[in-house]
Amino acid sequence: MFEVFEHTADVGLRIRAADLNQLFAEAGRAFFSLIVENLEAVRPATEVTFHLQGQDLEYLLFDWLNELLYCFETQHLIFNDFQVEVSPSGLTAVARGERFDPSRHQPDHEVKAITYHGLRVRQEEQGWMAEVIVDI
Amino acid sequence: MTKGVFQGPLLRVNDYLWRIPRSYKPGMRVDGLIYADDYLIEQIRNDQAPEQVANVAFLPGIQYASLAMPDIHWGYGFCIGGVCATDPEEGGVISPGGVGYDINCGVRLVRSNLYFKDVQPHLKALIEELFRQVPTGVGRTGKYHFDRQELRKLLAEGPRALKDRGLVTDADLEHTEAHGKLEGADPNLVSDRALERGSEQCGTLGSGNHFLEVQVVDAVFDEEAARSMGLEKDMICVMIHSGSRGLGYQVCDDALHALRNVPQKYGIELPDRQLACAPVNSPEGQRYIGAMRAAANFAWCNRQLLMWQAREVFSTVFGRSWQDLQMNLVYDVCHNIAKFEEHTVGGKRRKVWVHRKGATRAFPPGHPEIPACYRQIGQPVIIPGDMGRASWVLVGQAGSMEQTFGTTCHGAGRALSRTAAVQASKGRRIDQELASRGIVARARSWKGLAEEQPDAYKDVDHVVEVVHRAGISRKVVRLRPIGVIKG
Repeated sequence: MFEVFEHTADVGLRIRAADLNQLFAEAGRAFFSLIVENLEAVRPATEVTFHLQGQDLEYLLFDWLNELLYCFETQHLIFNDFQVEVSPSGLTAVARGERFDPSRHQPDHEVKAITYHGLRVRQEEQGWMAEVIVDI
Repeated sequence: MTKGVFQGPLLRVNDYLWRIPRSYKPGMRVDGLIYADDYLIEQIRNDQAPEQVANVAFLPGIQYASLAMPDIHWGYGFCIGGVCATDPEEGGVISPGGVGYDINCGVRLVRSNLYFKDVQPHLKALIEELFRQVPTGVGRTGKYHFDRQELRKLLAEGPRALKDRGLVTDADLEHTEAHGKLEGADPNLVSDRALERGSEQCGTLGSGNHFLEVQVVDAVFDEEAARSMGLEKDMICVMIHSGSRGLGYQVCDDALHALRNVPQKYGIELPDRQLACAPVNSPEGQRYIGAMRAAANFAWCNRQLLMWQAREVFSTVFGRSWQDLQMNLVYDVCHNIAKFEEHTVGGKRRKVWVHRKGATRAFPPGHPEIPACYRQIGQPVIIPGDMGRASWVLVGQAGSMEQTFGTTCHGAGRALSRTAAVQASKGRRIDQELASRGIVARARSWKGLAEEQPDAYKDVDHVVEVVHRAGISRKVVRLRPIGVIKG
């Protein structure tokens, strides 16, 4: 589950999930929902595997979203399906999607960068919560 | 992270200046100073931008004050509209957050010998053709391709490297801040990732607040300065707002990553991770400076190619060459940059790193860095407003050197968050509303248009009035938009 929260010039994402794996998967979907309005139209034509190292969960979330941004910017790939395994030393993720096609995908924002401002990942009573502000 | 109203002290200095005393937070090295009138300060209080002004005052080596222009709004780390100068001789730092992700985001203005009556009958066709030819929005690549070697040349030399391809003139370079080239740019410090993100994006507009507008000179406030710039009432101009695209964003991102543990290494305590910085005189600081300058040069290439495409479109639509249409570049300014400049602080000449994050250089008449044709009138400052009301051309005034390290505002500044703007546009068609005001607007994303609607911004006339009355820059002409293309 994710929602967009207010930030004057940019966009904040607040993500909630039962466990860390789902939190990171949901963060991936939240990220691409900023780029493409009809994320449900994305077909699982391509699969990419990611391996990221890092112990600090906030930096790991940052690096994960940054990796997805880089993938979009250079290969024009958009994903809407993620399987993520977070371990004490980092994460392994499989993302499924396809190349951006302006005839079927309604463009939304161009994301410039993920920011460190207000970046947080924390455990709550009901599971996990993350917040990240994205530069638009 | 929530919005929240600023609860700290904002003390009136005069009609256009407010002070956050350094006693507000332990760790502030200087006061915060915000340029605003009674009306704007009430808006400014409504988010955390003043808190960010106070946070910037923590930076080692900061001189005089942490400054903010009247278009200030909440950013990340630094506020947008912030100015800070640091002295390397006093342990001064360089901060990528003080420049922003979009390194050398900026604006250029192109004049023409067309007038409103010449263009109005063809306006729709003109805007359609601009929208077809100039790449805008998510995932659009440009028509210009550069291999790695050529890309490195653009990074080292700026738009003059486009001469081989016949895409820049000497007059274009003369009318670009720093002639479109920051010395000391080191392309070898720009990562492969940044080069990869930039290789297809030179000559593309992007999205968000970036735009290309066809505008009309609506009112002239300073005849002599307007004449020097070749501007007169009812004249058609083109304004272009864009930056260093993915390349610059990646350079900033790489720098912030490299600086994750650097403040601790040098014993620098910061109230926000996004303020990450390194001493200017450190290997980490020097690496960022070399890469940042290269990204700045790339941004000038991007705006040059955007202008070139606009010239080609005008030429097609009006059946005359751009030279015949006298589509000359008036000036190009950057408003996200850090530059090493000489200023007088407390009666002493110092060389300082002036960070301008959403702020524009505004050197006064006579300054040696102003091109000869403008030296009498002061440096032209291009202020983009919103797509429904106005934009401005100003010139720098002597007050800028005395008060703001030669700096003025950069735009209108946002009044509504993106989410609030979309909420406010539910059930409305922003393009049709603009059409009813005589403005043809084309965008790839309806939400983008909603987020950028005129009401999302402060009134630029009001912002400009403050910098005019504060004596840091002077009004020359007001422009109103008649056509807009966006991402």
